[in-house]
Amino acid sequence: MAAHLTRVKTRLSIHAHRKVRGLLQGEYAAIQVGRGIDFNDLREYVRGDDVKDIDWKASARSRTLLVRRYVAERKHTIIFAVSTGRSMAAMNDAQHDKRELAVFVTGVMGYLAVRHGDLVCLVHGDARRQHARPPDGGELYLERLLGLVHEAITPDAAPSDLRGVLDYTAKAIRRRGILVVVSDETRISDELAESLRRLTAQHEVLFLTIGDLDPTLVDGAPRRLVDIDAGAEVPDWLRGDPQLQEEYAALVTGEENQLRRRLDQLGIVHEQIRDTDSAIAAVFRMLERHRHARRR
Amino acid sequence: MELSWTTSESALRWPWLVAVLVLLVVGLLVAWVRVWSRRTPTGAAYVAHAARLRSLPRYRALVQRRQLFGALGSFAALVACAGGILLGGRVQDTQVMERNDSARDIMLCLDASGSTAPWNVAVIQELRDIVRGLQGERIGLTVWNNAAITKFPLTDDYGFVLDRLDEAEQAFAGWSEILPTQEFDDYTAGTWSENRDNQSSLVADGLVSCVQRFDLLGKSEKKRGRAVIFATDGEQRGKGVFNLEEAADYAAERDVAVHVIANPGEPDRDGDIAGLQAVADRTGGSFADLGTDGSAADVVDRIDDLKAERLQKPPLVQKVDEPRTGQVVAGIGVLLLLLVWAAQGAIAWVERSTR
Repeated sequence: MAAHLTRVKTRLSIHAHRKVRGLLQGEYAAIQVGRGIDFNDLREYVRGDDVKDIDWKASARSRTLLVRRYVAERKHTIIFAVSTGRSMAAMNDAQHDKRELAVFVTGVMGYLAVRHGDLVCLVHGDARRQHARPPDGGELYLERLLGLVHEAITPDAAPSDLRGVLDYTAKAIRRRGILVVVSDETRISDELAESLRRLTAQHEVLFLTIGDLDPTLVDGAPRRLVDIDAGAEVPDWLRGDPQLQEEYAALVTGEENQLRRRLDQLGIVHEQIRDTDSAIAAVFRMLERHRHARRR
Repeated sequence: MELSWTTSESALRWPWLVAVLVLLVVGLLVAWVRVWSRRTPTGAAYVAHAARLRSLPRYRALVQRRQLFGALGSFAALVACAGGILLGGRVQDTQVMERNDSARDIMLCLDASGSTAPWNVAVIQELRDIVRGLQGERIGLTVWNNAAITKFPLTDDYGFVLDRLDEAEQAFAGWSEILPTQEFDDYTAGTWSENRDNQSSLVADGLVSCVQRFDLLGKSEKKRGRAVIFATDGEQRGKGVFNLEEAADYAAERDVAVHVIANPGEPDRDGDIAGLQAVADRTGGSFADLGTDGSAADVVDRIDDLKAERLQKPPLVQKVDEPRTGQVVAGIGVLLLLLVWAAQGAIAWVERSTR
């Protein structure tokens, strides 16, 4: 059950221990938004305040009821918008599923946020239906969200529809937050760009894309490949043709360039996740770029 | 008689096998297509956004080539299968040979005595002409002097008959009064009986012996035409069991026509030739001098005139395998398959070497 987050933690401690410690010690610019953290910002209890917010120790010392207002204001909300259509159930490379990778990068981002005390919430879905989970904190909740993502991604799911997920996010999530989009889009259409533009007005948007297995490669590839969108087998005689490989590689590069250009135009920090090993580095690279990026 | 097979029809020996094989092939095809189309992608890995492949020009070229070769290969395989099925069903030609043998027997009856031996070469040439003019009759050869031996019994194997006549011609060519060749002695051995050394050239006995060489005398329900071609000079030394009139009666009673080819043997006594003429007349045969124009043709004509029922033998039917169609079809199929493979290999090789 708690496998997803454990895997993330293991990876983090092995690969980027120093970086993670640094980030968790308060240099997480995206979450801190430049303000100092003031834990002593207490005020007197007034009627209507949540009883849960009462700082009992402080109240006992000062003999007046004090509530901790600041905590709620300081907490940021990290919104994960994960496209869990059936294309996510495909292979990322010869060894790894895209599903694993999507869960993993979501877990890395979520763990960073949870450890920092921020709230995480999840919007995921496909072309048929979208779901939203309310913001909450804690590793257990994050683990549950990761489990949801993991379960939602199946080969039987409806086709992917990132625009649907984003529009649903715009409707369902009212508060400001940091929106982390995890998808496997190959290009940004005009409609998708419009949805993203609307969301950038509300949130800070980080965009993670997950790549696809090259169906023209021979080395290390599985024996049989099925096109998950069409349900038809990709014939094996297509593989190993050098000219086809060249043309396909050129096509993929062209699409990646288009995607990056469109996201740059929108001011969205973007990173391509290629595999599990480089995923953490890619996340940190993205966070670093986001820290230096123009703020809105 | 012309022996010829006429092909009447082609049919399959085992049509059920063809049906079974066709059903098998079709069934396998259907099963294969169904398995192919329903194949559950177990053990297969999924790949997303593979639709992008289809927009590539190289993809379209590869697919077109694949379709072309696939169609050609499938066609070739089907042709090869069809050929194999044809072979399996065993196409057979039914050949029919009509056998309307003439129910006629002809006994060549050759005087081998020293007086006629020099003429016998010419006689045999005449006989050969006669044999060549016949069709479907059975022919036998009897050689006699003061005893008769059967050189070969009645047969319709004309090749054999002509061979034996060649042998006889060679043997008689070796005759000489003083020192006959070994061949002649061997050939006429048995026609001279030492017990009757004061008798030779027993014409009447020879004739009766020849008549006795016919089989089924008086027994056959079907009436066969019988003729003796009697080559002699008519000169007789000593006295045999029969005289010439008795011999003629003997032949006539058995409806045997005697065609005489008389050769001018040594001392041409009066009465000999006349006696032979009488025999021919008595039995309804013909009489000709050796070498006279048309004697052979005349005898053939007279033999044709012999009344005989045509034998109504049932036609011979044989079935012969005709594998050529199947072999050609299967061969074409296999050849096409090889061509398709070779073409694919060649294209792959060219692409690899130009890269």
